[in-house]
Amino acid sequence: MDRSISIKKAVAGALVIAGLLAVPLLTNGYTQYVVNLVTVYVVLGIGLNILLGYAGQFAFANAAFMGIGAYTTAILSSQLGLPFWICIPAAGIVTAMIGSLCAVPAMRTASIYLALVTFAFAELMVWVFINWKGVTNGSNGISVPAPDLFGYVLRGDKRLYYLLLPSCLAMLWLASRILKSYVGRSFVIVRESEIVARCNGINVGRTKMVAFALSALFGGVGGALFAYTVGLVLPQSFGLFQLIIHIAIVVLGGMASLAGAVIGALLLTTLPEVLRDFQSLQEVMFGAALVMVAIFMPRGIAGALTRLGVLPREMLVRGTISPKRQPDDRNLPHPAIPVAVGGQND
Amino acid sequence: MTESILDVSSLTVRFGGLVAVDAVSLALRPGKVHGLIGPNGAGKTTLFNAITGLVPQADGKVSYDGKDITAFPAHRRSEIGIRRSFQSVQLVQSLTVLENILIGLHTQSAGKGWRGIGALFGSDGPDHAEQQMVQDVAAFLGIEHTLFKGIAELTFAEQRFVEIARAIVSRPKVLMLDEPAAGLSEAEIEKLDRLLRRLAAEWNTAILLVEHVLSLVFVVSDEITVLDNGRFVIHGDPGEVARDPRVKSAYLGEDVHA
Amino acid sequence: MGFMTLFMAGLAHGSLYALVALGLVLIYKTQGIVNWAHGELLMVGAFSGYTAFVLAGLPYPLAFLVAVLAGALLGALMERIAFRGIVHEHHATLALVAIGFSVIIKGVARIPFGADVYTLPPALPDAAPLRFAGAIVTSQSALTIAISVGITLLLLAIFRYTRTGKQMQATQQNLNGARIVGINTGRIFSITWALAAAVGAIAGLLAGPISLLYPDMGSEFLLKGFAAAVLGGFHSVTGAIVGGLLVGVIEMLIGGYVSTAFQQVSPFLIIIIVLFVRPHGLFGRRPVERV
Repeated sequence: MDRSISIKKAVAGALVIAGLLAVPLLTNGYTQYVVNLVTVYVVLGIGLNILLGYAGQFAFANAAFMGIGAYTTAILSSQLGLPFWICIPAAGIVTAMIGSLCAVPAMRTASIYLALVTFAFAELMVWVFINWKGVTNGSNGISVPAPDLFGYVLRGDKRLYYLLLPSCLAMLWLASRILKSYVGRSFVIVRESEIVARCNGINVGRTKMVAFALSALFGGVGGALFAYTVGLVLPQSFGLFQLIIHIAIVVLGGMASLAGAVIGALLLTTLPEVLRDFQSLQEVMFGAALVMVAIFMPRGIAGALTRLGVLPREMLVRGTISPKRQPDDRNLPHPAIPVAVGGQND
Repeated sequence: MTESILDVSSLTVRFGGLVAVDAVSLALRPGKVHGLIGPNGAGKTTLFNAITGLVPQADGKVSYDGKDITAFPAHRRSEIGIRRSFQSVQLVQSLTVLENILIGLHTQSAGKGWRGIGALFGSDGPDHAEQQMVQDVAAFLGIEHTLFKGIAELTFAEQRFVEIARAIVSRPKVLMLDEPAAGLSEAEIEKLDRLLRRLAAEWNTAILLVEHVLSLVFVVSDEITVLDNGRFVIHGDPGEVARDPRVKSAYLGEDVHA
Repeated sequence: MGFMTLFMAGLAHGSLYALVALGLVLIYKTQGIVNWAHGELLMVGAFSGYTAFVLAGLPYPLAFLVAVLAGALLGALMERIAFRGIVHEHHATLALVAIGFSVIIKGVARIPFGADVYTLPPALPDAAPLRFAGAIVTSQSALTIAISVGITLLLLAIFRYTRTGKQMQATQQNLNGARIVGINTGRIFSITWALAAAVGAIAGLLAGPISLLYPDMGSEFLLKGFAAAVLGGFHSVTGAIVGGLLVGVIEMLIGGYVSTAFQQVSPFLIIIIVLFVRPHGLFGRRPVERV
């Protein structure tokens, strides 16, 4: 029984990947750009979701992480001519190191202050981007050369997609593995109750630091991908407006859900395009959506889909003992929780 | 006289000017149940919190298995084998019973530390073994039918047992229970009684039991310490303690066996 | 510019930040909510005043009133329709709702006021600058300081001498206790928000001549208000005032003696440094954690 499910899943997965690879065949120039942005925002959404949704740390630094990653990539590629397969990981690592510093206030102060501190940090980074002219070229920004693979240049949105898609999928896979592991479970336990965490052997301070570092890693890689996608890195891109987009992706898409990050990214990248004619109302609707979802649908769209049974519940452990083996629940599917056997890779 | 596994000497806890626990000493021995009783506000829960490291101690020493753990943070203490339950049940509402109990095994997880990097990309073998342990403990407590339910669906007694399951699944050497019988029916208290005896006898756990349900405490404990106003009053076997006039007058009334 | 001139300018700006911080602290003390939309309440005050004073040509005192009413109404509305029902929720939810509101308000403001930047002329354009302790103080600055002082005293008087004020204090200290005693806490919440928003709106109006008006102006003042509240400790009115004045003065001095660039970054640095070194601010008390 499990065998045929695995085969079905593998075939479905292959079809999805094939479909994704074929996307550029269906798009024109601008649509492809939007698709590229989606892949970037999936990574950014996952990054913030790790911190906000899984670890429960209410921190506003994600746009700053994105900026650090974008600038690192821009500088390394345009000044030092380094290839993307160095720039992207480097951006991730640099941002992760800076990000783990943000964990320090998380460990010391009340959680409301964490939001304030990270907000101040975010504004500080924009100021640095604007004023550290020697490094960042200030408000003029830095041009990012198109990435190349040993001579073959990925010029144009369609070719760039074949760098962005695998990167995005790789980051999704990484997130999935990490969140289902000991590390991911530590995050959730710390989020739910620091006292329970401490009484069950979890070093809360260290867990928070790992959460920040991981979130920053994704933010940095997302920023790197963003840099290649837009081609020009400007300081104003990483301010309050960017932050609100990230928050909306996580809140509307669904907290503590990788599917939520994908849904949120899709929504927030494509919807402004659809609503382009109603620009003045966009912001109002956007804000209203944020308020509504925060109050009535705290788990976002992914949460609603999970409750409706459309999406499987993201379990924290792989290969769960099937409830069918329980003596009482012989052949009944469990009413409250759909039988979810792990997530993407069992 | 068996050697003690947990030794608390002259533990003092202060909150600003208030002395919540005043130079209290007690010892826990493997396989023995040590009851801790006293009127409300006597400092029992504060003592608990100090021993587990959740509350800083102003003075005194705590040693475990011969080692001085006074400076150990809470997570270290629980890691080395001191586990507890809480007065108000602290279960994670968004996780299933299985996942809640798994929290108790978290530190034993094979996915921890550097091995974790390998476990990230390896098979889910360790997860299976851990889940088997949870199933076994759930069976031990008679709650295996709740494993896949959400916390909100459980009865109060079931929630209590899940909390206890989480505390014992890692087979801790020291188990501290804070008023586990509160709100339970007679039958459920009897179940608790049998559980504590089994834990002490089969797993050789040292148990510290804070309770107001005196019928349980006096019946299941091998020794009892009495606190009042943060201070040590008396320590002895249940018979001695029941007969002591200070304890009797404080709140036992005339008859111990209710 | 001489030290005293910078200092006085700092006091003028600082009194604005103090007003913003006052609004933030008022709401936080009463309901434990950090109002991330507070900057937008300020912006609404500024634009309402602009509409009344510049577009409609009303005299300044009337424009002032319009700004106050607009702010108070909006604040009370926000409280009633959104925050009242969710006071017990996780602070993340509260923050998200506030952020949502700030986006809505900005969006609405952009419809009439688009992407342009506006200026609000000073209230007394013909008044000559004053001389005070060797410093030159513009009439607007003097007015700002005077009005801020006036509002602070008014608020303190309300707290101490009126029944509503005392009820507000009671609600702040013990919500359930206040309910048991028969205080209509819902009404108190509305009044608190209206008051806080009104104070913010006044700050917006006073800020007009000093800074430029644009729909996004709120976030700059929000941050400085946060810096002030963090510095003074989020728990006291005095703290908010002193914090605000300090932020204003520090900002001006850094601008005068170091550089404009560092002037811009000073509020962020204040927040970061204070929360690292002394999270409970200058006047707050170290919180005792209860298990």
